[in-house]
Amino acid sequence: MSDTRAPVSELFAGANASPFGRAQRRPRGARIPVSIVTGFLGAGKTTLIRALLDSPEGANTAVVVNEYGEIGIDNALLRASSDATVLLGNGCVCCLARSDLQETLRTLFADRARGAVPSFERVVIETSGLADPGPLLQTFASDRALGEEFHLQALVTVIDAPNGARNLASAPEAREQVALADRIILTKTDLADPAELIAQLQALTAAPAERAVNGAIDPAYLLDERLDLPVRVPEHDHAHAHSHDIESFIVTFDRPLRWPAFEQAMTVLTALRGADLLRVKGIVAVEGVKGPVVVHAVQHTAHRPIELQTWPDDDGRSRLVFITRGIGRAEIENLLSAVAAIVKEPTQ
Amino acid sequence: MPATDNSMIWNFKLVSHNSLDGFGGIGEGMSMQLAKDGRRILWLAHESAPKNFTAVDVTDPKNPKIVARRELPESHMRSNSLETVGDILAVAYQTKEPGLKPAGFELFDISTPENPKSISFFDCSGPESRGVHQLWFTDGKTIHMSAGAADFRPSHPKDDQIYRAIDVSSPAKPTELGRWWLPGQQVGDNEAPPKRHPGANDSGFRPHNTNVYPERPDRVYMGYLDGGMIVLDIADQAHPKMVSRWDYHPPNVGFTHTVVPFFDRDLLIVSDECTRNDGADWPKLVWIVDNRAEENPVPIATCPMPPVESFSRRGGRFGAHNLWENLPKEGCWKSDRIVFGTFFNGGLRAFDLDNPYQPKEAAYFVPEVPGAPTGACQLNDVFIDDRGLVFTVDRHVGGLYVLEMDF
Repeated sequence: MSDTRAPVSELFAGANASPFGRAQRRPRGARIPVSIVTGFLGAGKTTLIRALLDSPEGANTAVVVNEYGEIGIDNALLRASSDATVLLGNGCVCCLARSDLQETLRTLFADRARGAVPSFERVVIETSGLADPGPLLQTFASDRALGEEFHLQALVTVIDAPNGARNLASAPEAREQVALADRIILTKTDLADPAELIAQLQALTAAPAERAVNGAIDPAYLLDERLDLPVRVPEHDHAHAHSHDIESFIVTFDRPLRWPAFEQAMTVLTALRGADLLRVKGIVAVEGVKGPVVVHAVQHTAHRPIELQTWPDDDGRSRLVFITRGIGRAEIENLLSAVAAIVKEPTQ
Repeated sequence: MPATDNSMIWNFKLVSHNSLDGFGGIGEGMSMQLAKDGRRILWLAHESAPKNFTAVDVTDPKNPKIVARRELPESHMRSNSLETVGDILAVAYQTKEPGLKPAGFELFDISTPENPKSISFFDCSGPESRGVHQLWFTDGKTIHMSAGAADFRPSHPKDDQIYRAIDVSSPAKPTELGRWWLPGQQVGDNEAPPKRHPGANDSGFRPHNTNVYPERPDRVYMGYLDGGMIVLDIADQAHPKMVSRWDYHPPNVGFTHTVVPFFDRDLLIVSDECTRNDGADWPKLVWIVDNRAEENPVPIATCPMPPVESFSRRGGRFGAHNLWENLPKEGCWKSDRIVFGTFFNGGLRAFDLDNPYQPKEAAYFVPEVPGAPTGACQLNDVFIDDRGLVFTVDRHVGGLYVLEMDF
């Protein structure tokens, strides 16, 4: 995790400049929000997205899919089309991620700017069933890729009651989809008792799980962002969610952090164990900075930290949720304090 | 906003729209009065006759209400520009041809917004003058303006307006403090007249906006149309001196319009005005200028625009025009991180200037204007109040739009 601070030149900074750039009202700032819907084939992703597009809240959505057939476009909805983009009703567009997702999203962005497609307000990406969401999350992290224009809002994993438990037991991709998710959606619970599946989910993640019947779910559940990743409430000083080596825990700091020390610690962590650092997200109080700083890292890649104008609640402490493979809370805390002890104070 | 039309909205929320009772053509005068009774009255200068100005109560932004409106005395004139300070309203009057009247500015007492009462008229008419195109009035004492004068003899008819400063601290008796023009602009100057821009691109050498801020009360920041950007030292108000000039025409087509300093960041934000339809004078841009060495301003970036090949075909003008000028007045929003501008059919656009070398688009609002004579909106000016509400107006028929920033 190299220096990921906003590219604020010391030139023209002005007396009130923050090292993180202009404080934002929300993590996405002015960028286009992206929700990723993942889940195995047949889990019900398409039904959910279709229902979203038909709702008032889903108006002006750009959907990126692998196959048009999946999204169920019929002729009545087809208004115009180009090679890869179909205009739907309700201000929505549907776009095929034929080859490269980055290229697809860049084209969508450019088409939107020139008015070739409706001025969509959000993107929903439906992944293919077997997709490992990790690389997808990283796509939105670096400025060189898509991070300047798009902001990852939520990773939502859909899992169906009849097949979910079997998939989780047999497919590592399914477990990663669940472990990394901000939210879980359970489908087809009328076809099978989800009790066993729910138990498996709880071993993998503390993410909230809602049931959707025929795709009906609160659109905010798909589209909104939460600053904190879900994590279990610590019990008996043992907060790890043990399962298949995937752990999730929260690290809190009562005092504001020195950013150089924190950044160095994260750099060491990602350099040594990036592959096992599945996801880190939270808000950090930084010395000398007024608002909380949103931190989000996926494996070796960190999203640009964003300073918010205000704290989301009265708890002004730093809090970071780690989802890891085999790295525990004690190791993280020890690393952070060790690095903080040896990082020099900035010279004036 | 229906998605089936040509409207585009991003990171703004439309709070309300008022078509101004069929007279929705507004110029580039927008000023908010914080009335003594607590109301917020937005004064709007019309683009052209028959209307002079309209006052809109925007205390409740969801429900703007017209509270006053005045007609122009003559059809051969326009008001176009106005400002308020406290309960004083100043309105610029420009005639279609030189030699016509009334040409100058008028001061009104607006202590009762419903009933503006004329206080005085400052005459700028003359055989070669069209009067006042634009005025800047923020301190209650001085009007800085682009105006002709009875005794000014331009070396070219299009160069009739100059920088003039008028003391209005006694509103009933405005008196001139000083004036400045580009050397060569007047017959008899030692310098040669400025070289004309070719053909239809000859818009003239004269000031457009003449901005003065309390951070630097000894400076006037001017767009000087075909003369580029000019900054004056007015420490001696009777004898202004040029500090710097940045002229990028040619290669660009002229009409430099507004210069907004971001003092704390040593930056100037400079806008052009697009004056021709269908992209004929493209590019018309918002420039970011390095002003660390005041005598040598250096352009470092322009604000990103949507593709000209699509917008130039939408109808009417497409390109830069007015900027939000961080008006140094009570009730106004201020920022040196965000640039707001109106771009005719490109709508209202906001740019994040965190990195001034790479301004980024943050928000836009391009309304569909039913009955637009050019086929597309022609957003003309923008005003932002200290509630963070963004007011923008259409040049022809669209009227007033009230927006919230959502970024």
